[in-house]
Amino acid sequence: MLNPQSAQSVIDHGISLGANFAELFVEQSQSNIISTLSNQVQSVESGIDFGIGIRLIYGSKVLYGYTNKPEADELKRIMSELAAKDLRAPGISSRSFDYRQIEDLHSAQRTLSIDSEVESKVAFLMAADAAARAEGNMISQTRGTCRQKQQNIELFNSEGLHTSDTRNYIRTGLTSIASDGSEQATGSWSDGGLLGWELQDDISAEKTGSEASRQALVNLGARPCPSGRMPVIIGNGFGGVIFHEACGHLLETTSVAKKASVFHDQMGQMIANPSVNAVDDGLLLKQWGSINIDDEGLDTQRTQLIKDGQLTSFLVDRIGAEQTGFSATGSGRRESYKFAPASRMRNTFIEPGDAELDDMVASIDKGIYASHMGGGSVQPGTGEFNFAVTEGYYIEHGKIKYPVKAATLISTGPAVLKEISMVGKDFSLACGMCGSVSGSVPTSVGQATLKVDDILVGGNA
Amino acid sequence: MSIENQAQQVIDLVRAAGAMGDLIVDQGESLSLKASEGELEEYKVSSSQILGLRVIKDGKVGTAYSEAVDKNALNSLVDQALTNASFTVTEAHERIQLNDNHLKTDDAVLCPAEDVEIEHKIKFSLDMEGNLVAKPKVKNVPYNSVQDITGQRHVFSSAGLNASSKSRMCVAYAYALIEDGDKNAMEGAGQASRLFADLNVNDLVERAYGNTINILDGSPVASGHYDVIFDEEMQASLFQVFSMMFSGKSAKDGVNPMREKLGHTIADPRLNIIDQPLNSQGFGYSLFDAEGIATHATPLIVDGVLNTLIHNSATASFFDVVTTGHASRSPKSTMGVSLHQVEISAGGATSADLLSGEYLLLTDMTGLHSGANAISGDFSFGASGYLCQDGDRIRPVRGITVAGNFYEMLRKIALIGKDQYWNWEKSALMPHVRFADIAISG
Repeated sequence: MLNPQSAQSVIDHGISLGANFAELFVEQSQSNIISTLSNQVQSVESGIDFGIGIRLIYGSKVLYGYTNKPEADELKRIMSELAAKDLRAPGISSRSFDYRQIEDLHSAQRTLSIDSEVESKVAFLMAADAAARAEGNMISQTRGTCRQKQQNIELFNSEGLHTSDTRNYIRTGLTSIASDGSEQATGSWSDGGLLGWELQDDISAEKTGSEASRQALVNLGARPCPSGRMPVIIGNGFGGVIFHEACGHLLETTSVAKKASVFHDQMGQMIANPSVNAVDDGLLLKQWGSINIDDEGLDTQRTQLIKDGQLTSFLVDRIGAEQTGFSATGSGRRESYKFAPASRMRNTFIEPGDAELDDMVASIDKGIYASHMGGGSVQPGTGEFNFAVTEGYYIEHGKIKYPVKAATLISTGPAVLKEISMVGKDFSLACGMCGSVSGSVPTSVGQATLKVDDILVGGNA
Repeated sequence: MSIENQAQQVIDLVRAAGAMGDLIVDQGESLSLKASEGELEEYKVSSSQILGLRVIKDGKVGTAYSEAVDKNALNSLVDQALTNASFTVTEAHERIQLNDNHLKTDDAVLCPAEDVEIEHKIKFSLDMEGNLVAKPKVKNVPYNSVQDITGQRHVFSSAGLNASSKSRMCVAYAYALIEDGDKNAMEGAGQASRLFADLNVNDLVERAYGNTINILDGSPVASGHYDVIFDEEMQASLFQVFSMMFSGKSAKDGVNPMREKLGHTIADPRLNIIDQPLNSQGFGYSLFDAEGIATHATPLIVDGVLNTLIHNSATASFFDVVTTGHASRSPKSTMGVSLHQVEISAGGATSADLLSGEYLLLTDMTGLHSGANAISGDFSFGASGYLCQDGDRIRPVRGITVAGNFYEMLRKIALIGKDQYWNWEKSALMPHVRFADIAISG
């Protein structure tokens, strides 16, 4: 996308300004979004993102700029403006580029650059709508989306790196709205991955629609949730957002290096119940959070974060490696050329155990089964997190009693990790978008159903 | 090529295809600084431009955007929008407005010139971080930023519209992490102004420190129902989360629970909410909406009665009313509606009345989006703040949740204060409202 000779002259310019490291991140992305409202196409949107991110590093100081203009003179102008207050004699020389062809582990077939396949996607969403409505006449509305993106990136840096990659993302789903005349409730289901529209072959419009409506109908009949401290069973798949929020963000060197994470000085220590094994894996085939290389051009990897309760690794990007001394884990990620990379999660999950759901329920006198989770947030400095239950049930005397609504779980990362006492076998992953300092990036969360012995449940019963 | 020439080229292509259209061009320049341990940690500059086109052909609407502006990119932009339109159903209500006005904002008010050296901005960033770190028990200031942002928007249409706005926003914020034994807390404060000279580093540092050190020893209160007052930041956020209740677009789509409540009492009769796009003290100021329609004040709730929903020309046509000037569209999105700048009118309660007896003052809430359902009104958030008695903070409170139904809460207003406050981002102007009987879990 950028002529290597131009790129070399720009990188050389950055090093001539005294920077320790210079980098260009070139991005051109195509996107296509189809939205449906019940059985009609509401909109089809598409577009091209194009820009270049420029990074200079002086010691631990990061200078970052971006522009939509690819001309070498403009890129040098921005570099000079960035470095104006840090000018010094060059300490190193930039190396000549040696193009590195990466292996595409997740090759896609039905990509956006070939065809946006609007008719096929609309047919899927219409089938999902029909399946959703077949669940009952209280389903008043559905909203469907299919988002496809092809992100082409090219990286140049002063260490001689020149490489490129293409990432194909697809995600489709449906939200059902159930109404009984006085109240409304929602349910949703989505699938996605690092692949093209061949995703269609692996998923079912019927399941998408019926599962969204089933959840909406459960929530329509749900009672207010009891509140207070109690044991909670958290469902598989997106339930893994608990680990993402409670622990994952706190293991990113973005927080660790600033000592803004409660875990910054606990490497090698027992930070979780011994039943907990946790991984951040960028290699999983065609999974939503996978990558071939990170956004700094480093190979991705499987990173064991916690082994039998013991902290074994952080998530480390280039700057994080320099600041903490830990080796980079191929975790430098960014939403687009508009962001400097930062250490971020990929596919993050708690590994399965051997407990049964029935045994977990039977062990609870009064508690909640949160079978589906929504989003949440965390404050890394203190570890305080919250996340929303989108489908939950009250448990009493070892039995599931009735559905509950509007519940939030809050705790701190260190506390909840030690309260996970049972981990089930039904492992699965789910797609999510994770927002942080380097923007919103695709990440998977995952786990088998697990039991937390004590957590604060916020309800309004 | 100038923006006007690029726009003309696009509009000519749209017309040549037998369509109508409007084009949004957003441009921005920004500077962002972050400090760490007495050094500048990040220095970020940007210049950006993006074009967003909406076309209407044979009653069908399509949109497309591009960050590239060469001739091929502009041709592709028009082709994509027309192709996208061909897949949609005929939309009888969405039309390009016959609006050829040339509205333009006043730079002297919204984008005042100021001669500030970069060294001064860097010093502000370093002082903010350094002075906060120097406070007792502050471990570090992991989140801090000083920004100077200028944004411009142009809206052109095939009907001859040419409207433009330009505004500047200078922002500073800092969040301090305090540790004391095994206790820790992180809170912060922020400031926003149109002139960098109006930012005050000492005030910001004192407030960020106070917000953090005062909450450090917080613990839960007993579960129960409490009177609750949200501070100016949290109250503005809470109303923003449920702003869909005013959306004519959501009503048209059948997901706004207020659709059938127009003219009905939906809140305490002392509550008056108005959208004030022309109050230039706030950063929600808008001279025109995304269709180039001139804006005006819109009473939303009058004496507790839902007065109107907010509309663009399409939702207004659907409901057979006139647009309220609330069309919203980013270059990457389709046409929707959004509020500009919400104001709650001052009430009649003195501070002594508002703060009498026991109540919880909530100064922070987490999970504002994941824990709220705008369709049902149900919410459950993590929260912290202070247990208060007759205006005095008795003790800090942390590790609690606040839950309820926002639409029911609007009827549970105990008192509305006499004084109005901006939130720090100056997007909403509200008095403090005391809500009765709110569920708290501790």
